[in-house]
Amino acid sequence: MKKVKKQDITRLLSQWQKEFTVFVPSRENGAAEMTVWDGQDVSFLDWYRNTVIPPKANFLLNMEIMFGFRKEDGSYNLELPAAATQKQLVFGIRPCDARATSIIDMVFKDAYEDKYYLNRRENTLLIGMGCLNPYDSCFCTSLGLGPAEATDVDLMLTDIGDDFLIEEVTDKGKELVARTEGVVEATRDDESRAGEVKDTAYKKVTRKIDTREIEKRLPASFDNEEFWEKVAAKCVSCGICTFLCPTCYCFDINDEMLKGDGARYRNWDSCSFPLYTKMPAENPREEKWRRVRQKVHHKYTFYPSLFDVIACTGCGRCIRLCPVNWDITQTLESVPAEAATGTEKK
Amino acid sequence: MSETEQKLRNEAMTLLEQGRADYIIGYEAGSLKFTTTPLITRDKDDIDRLVINPFILNNLSVFLGDISGKAGIVAKGCDSRSIVSLIQDQQLAREDIVIIGVPCSGVIDLNKVEKLTGKDRDELDDIAWAGDKAVVTIEGAKKEFPAKDVLMDDCLSCDMPAPQEYDILLDEVGPLVCDKELSRSQIKELEEMSPEQRWEFWKNEFSRCIRCYACRQVCPACFCKRCFVEETEPQWISPLPKWQDNLIFQMTRMIHVAGRCTDCGECQRSCPVNIPLRSLSKKMEEIADELFQYKAGTDKDAPPLMAAYESEEAEDFIR
Ligand code: SF4
Ligand code: SF4
Ligand code: SF4
Ligand code: SF4
Repeated sequence: MKKVKKQDITRLLSQWQKEFTVFVPSRENGAAEMTVWDGQDVSFLDWYRNTVIPPKANFLLNMEIMFGFRKEDGSYNLELPAAATQKQLVFGIRPCDARATSIIDMVFKDAYEDKYYLNRRENTLLIGMGCLNPYDSCFCTSLGLGPAEATDVDLMLTDIGDDFLIEEVTDKGKELVARTEGVVEATRDDESRAGEVKDTAYKKVTRKIDTREIEKRLPASFDNEEFWEKVAAKCVSCGICTFLCPTCYCFDINDEMLKGDGARYRNWDSCSFPLYTKMPAENPREEKWRRVRQKVHHKYTFYPSLFDVIACTGCGRCIRLCPVNWDITQTLESVPAEAATGTEKK
Repeated sequence: MSETEQKLRNEAMTLLEQGRADYIIGYEAGSLKFTTTPLITRDKDDIDRLVINPFILNNLSVFLGDISGKAGIVAKGCDSRSIVSLIQDQQLAREDIVIIGVPCSGVIDLNKVEKLTGKDRDELDDIAWAGDKAVVTIEGAKKEFPAKDVLMDDCLSCDMPAPQEYDILLDEVGPLVCDKELSRSQIKELEEMSPEQRWEFWKNEFSRCIRCYACRQVCPACFCKRCFVEETEPQWISPLPKWQDNLIFQMTRMIHVAGRCTDCGECQRSCPVNIPLRSLSKKMEEIADELFQYKAGTDKDAPPLMAAYESEEAEDFIR
């Protein structure tokens, strides 16, 4: 393993900036998100716990052009946007968000090949940074993660005081370190210090869910209308918990055209909105409780049955940012043990 | 449990027992520090979870439209005016609601506390009132802040902390620290800008709007079954989160809620990307007052501002 002095982080990023568009956590725009590094500011090292906008936004833009079109002589000429070839480096991604990106890969890379997404994803290096100070809404440890464990990143940094310990997780990461100045070999002491830091961080995550019990109970809850009505009552059906969830990826498609010139866009969509499932004749999720049920089941029942993984990494954004403090962990923990008595037809 | 809370639970229980309400809408302790969360229930066993504290932020009147039957609802001053406003707009019938008015001495703005202390809310041990000071405990050490520095901006300018319309009033209203200048300091900054600067300011702010519609969803004045943004024929604005469309969405929303907004502050508080929406809604409220001497939600028998016209009304509002 390697290490780098904290005071050398600027130097490190400056080197990388020559090769990549470097993204770092920033609050400059009014809400914490990964933004292009200005070449100087590393103050995020003091305040950064996690971003409001999840780093999925680096791959799945909240709005992007799929293709342009122009009407000429009664037909349309299509124009594909230039493929993203600029290499990105996302510095400081948290384990929950890095794992979430792998979870999205299962749909956008493995089940389908989404060129727009893959272009960015494959041109990106993820430099993880462990959490020393998890939020009270974090529950990553219940989902097989550790707040400072190296998962789904190319390099993993752990704060060990004056230095960051660097774990080279992938070959890409290893190659990057090899051509970076200012990185030195870590000592055995550094490594054991990092181990302690990780243990301490792990213990600081106190919010817990029992996924095994949930996987047993949740599927049977599907038809329990009474349960879902009760837990959904206070949700106001906004887009916060889905737009800002690092594993949610739904999008909408919209055309915009002015005088024969236009583009097909896609933009984030949310199953919390009634419009999401509205069809000419009916809306299968007109009632709020059906939408809340969908959100929970998609993450905790459907995804596990399709990909063998829960599509939630316990980042806690949906709890922290929800305007009514609707708490997914409370809902999951309150799923009744007995099978549903409801008789709803699907 | 405070005396007020005990009284609230007794009253709520009586309402359910006597069948005067089918549902109770109130607050219970939230799952995070210094939060409360709406409790909407018809179950008597839930009643002892009801709380009243300086963190009862949500304007619960937004849930009244969901309820079939009669609702007993906990309401602060601004919330009670939202209820009245909904009655004026014929969205609710007065006899279907039992208003449990709560004494309000303002609610605490956790963003302000975070700024003052340099800590996130979950890193604080305690926040409590001591007279007109808020005492914040961080790692065992106590720090005092004047109430005006930690109250929500909308509370700082509140004229009617006492519910104006109620069936049950829980207590006398405590003193509320007001500081109207401070409450509109950002509006003042905006007023002092040139139109070009203001345009740049809002362009910048709305560039980060993600169109989550939380501002609309928590707003009791946004009661439309179908909002103009979801109309497709014609499509009034694009669903894409471009700053121009984001701005148009919010401007239109503000016009729609003019004369209905009671400055409860919920839109701004809910916005996940911190867009200072109250600078718009409060300004609208001031204009409604200045031009029409109209205060939202103060008279349930009055016609809604935007739905009434009198021939002697000023016409010089187009400026
Ligand atoms: S759970 Fe919260 S954040 Fe999610 S849609 Fe409901 S109110 Fe919005
Ligand atoms: S469901 Fe909530 S906790 Fe889980 S990954 Fe999404 S935002 Fe994070
Ligand atoms: S913005 Fe206007 S149209 Fe949309 S819900 Fe609010 S009041 Fe209705
Ligand atoms: S709450 Fe904020 S981000 Fe969401 S739609 Fe409203 S202004 Fe935009």
